[in-house]
Amino acid sequence: METNSVRETKFIGPTSKEMAQPALTAAQKNAVAIPKPMEEATRWGSSRMLKRMFSAGVMLPVLAGVLFLALWEFQIFHKIFDLKKYQLPLPTAIATTMRDNFSMLLSYTGYTLTEAVLGMLVGSAIGFLIALAATAWPRWGSGSLTLVAALNAVPIVALAPIMNLWFGDGIGSRIAIVTATTMAAMAINAYKGMAAIDPLALDLMHSYAAGKPAVFRYLRIRNSLPYVFTALKINATASMIGAIVGEFFFSSKGLGYLLSNSIKVAKMPLGWSCIVLAAIAGVLFYLVVERLEKVFIKWHPSQR
Amino acid sequence: MKGGTIFARGRLLPLFVWIFGLLLVWEGTSWMLLHVVETPLAQSKLPYVHEVLSTLWKYSGTLLKEGAATFGNAGVGFLIGAVAGASLAVLMSLSKTIEQLTFPYAIASQMIPILGLAPIIYGIVRDEQTSRIIISGYITFFPVALNMLRGLRSVDPSALELMHSYAAKPWAVYWKLRFPAALPGLFGGLKIAAPLAVTGAILVELMGAQHGVGVIMLRNLYYGSSHTYMFWSTVIVGALLGIASYWLISLIERLVAPWQPEFRPKGGSC
Repeated sequence: METNSVRETKFIGPTSKEMAQPALTAAQKNAVAIPKPMEEATRWGSSRMLKRMFSAGVMLPVLAGVLFLALWEFQIFHKIFDLKKYQLPLPTAIATTMRDNFSMLLSYTGYTLTEAVLGMLVGSAIGFLIALAATAWPRWGSGSLTLVAALNAVPIVALAPIMNLWFGDGIGSRIAIVTATTMAAMAINAYKGMAAIDPLALDLMHSYAAGKPAVFRYLRIRNSLPYVFTALKINATASMIGAIVGEFFFSSKGLGYLLSNSIKVAKMPLGWSCIVLAAIAGVLFYLVVERLEKVFIKWHPSQR
Repeated sequence: MKGGTIFARGRLLPLFVWIFGLLLVWEGTSWMLLHVVETPLAQSKLPYVHEVLSTLWKYSGTLLKEGAATFGNAGVGFLIGAVAGASLAVLMSLSKTIEQLTFPYAIASQMIPILGLAPIIYGIVRDEQTSRIIISGYITFFPVALNMLRGLRSVDPSALELMHSYAAKPWAVYWKLRFPAALPGLFGGLKIAAPLAVTGAILVELMGAQHGVGVIMLRNLYYGSSHTYMFWSTVIVGALLGIASYWLISLIERLVAPWQPEFRPKGGSC
């Protein structure tokens, strides 16, 4: 139905200017079908397609990764960029350090991840509510959106001491930092999803005499879902950053604390193992969100 | 012309009311904390707005100079990162091999907490200028690349068919169809990245640099409660830099891609 209407518009006049317009509405619609390659990538991972494990899509990145690690291990990077081993420790040294400090690193990772997840949930919820309000009352709401974007622009590093003053140096201050950093991405993305609806669909809703709540229920929220999940994916990363940067300054626990400390005392391998673990935790967090996205978008009718 | 002024008034008035209301609440809460609740360190927690503003005005010369240093460095890194990210997106949309090669890493590296990497990059490079640019560029790179790729991919298939039936050359397809379609995504990525680039630049400054807002911020934080107002001034300057970067991108978006529904007079929402 929607595709039909887009096609009709196109037949009116395929000049370059009008071409741009249907292309865009289509772009927004197709944004539902978020990155295709990602879906494929996970499909390759499943055992069902064992054969595809050895396809180019898996082998190429794996080979590139192995090559990268080899160049690193055999100190080619050190030669190119003129680095010393204490500046950029070798992968084997990092692995050894990680094994030696495994239990401490694991508990710190859990701590940081807790901060990130809790903060992200709170921040995303608030951001979504702001987007709802901004769409419902555009005249006054868009101002609040600008304010949230402004809050996002306050550097995390400046937020950290302030939140520390407000919430003490426990886990609360980092949750607050993460909340503040994740709010804006969700608000802006969700707002974009709710605002960027097909004008024709909106006209249709109007012709059915649908009220504001109905437009929200059937059109805007649904249209915003892909954007919401994009925001969640962005936030999964951003929340790890917020938690870690928050720990740089006032903490006695967590990956960020260990990272900044071990760099201060020139224990670069330990610092790198923090980065590796933070990356792994971030990837896991991201994958969980992506999984959820698939579950939710599955019942999303626009996917069929 | 008339429509323009109404538009401006309709958009700007609520914003000013918001800001004014917020400042009022802030000032009131600050007074409450200091005189009614009598929290310890009340002025450090939420200082008087007027005191902060007067400090801001008094030291505006220094703050402006340091702010410009931060903004310039962040801007250079941002530009490099944006160009690199957009080019990678185009390359990935052109070649399946490049996409297969880089996409998993693009996703994975987006999940490495880059600001966490900042001390390590600083430890390696030991040069504030370079590390600031590297971090700002790195932060910009991935949102831009991923959003732009999504945009390039999201072209209506029937529009592609039409181009094909006109025997359009590949570059024409890119120029007339894919790039316009990718612009909203590109700007979405840029808007996310711009304030983050500023944050990255400030973070590097906090770790030990000579110039920039972060340097003054850290100095005043360590001096304690007597320098509260100056600390808050630097926070405000940092925020303003981030807002300025966001607004700059929005302005450019409005000029470059004005057809988006949210720029229509009714805002795509009515």
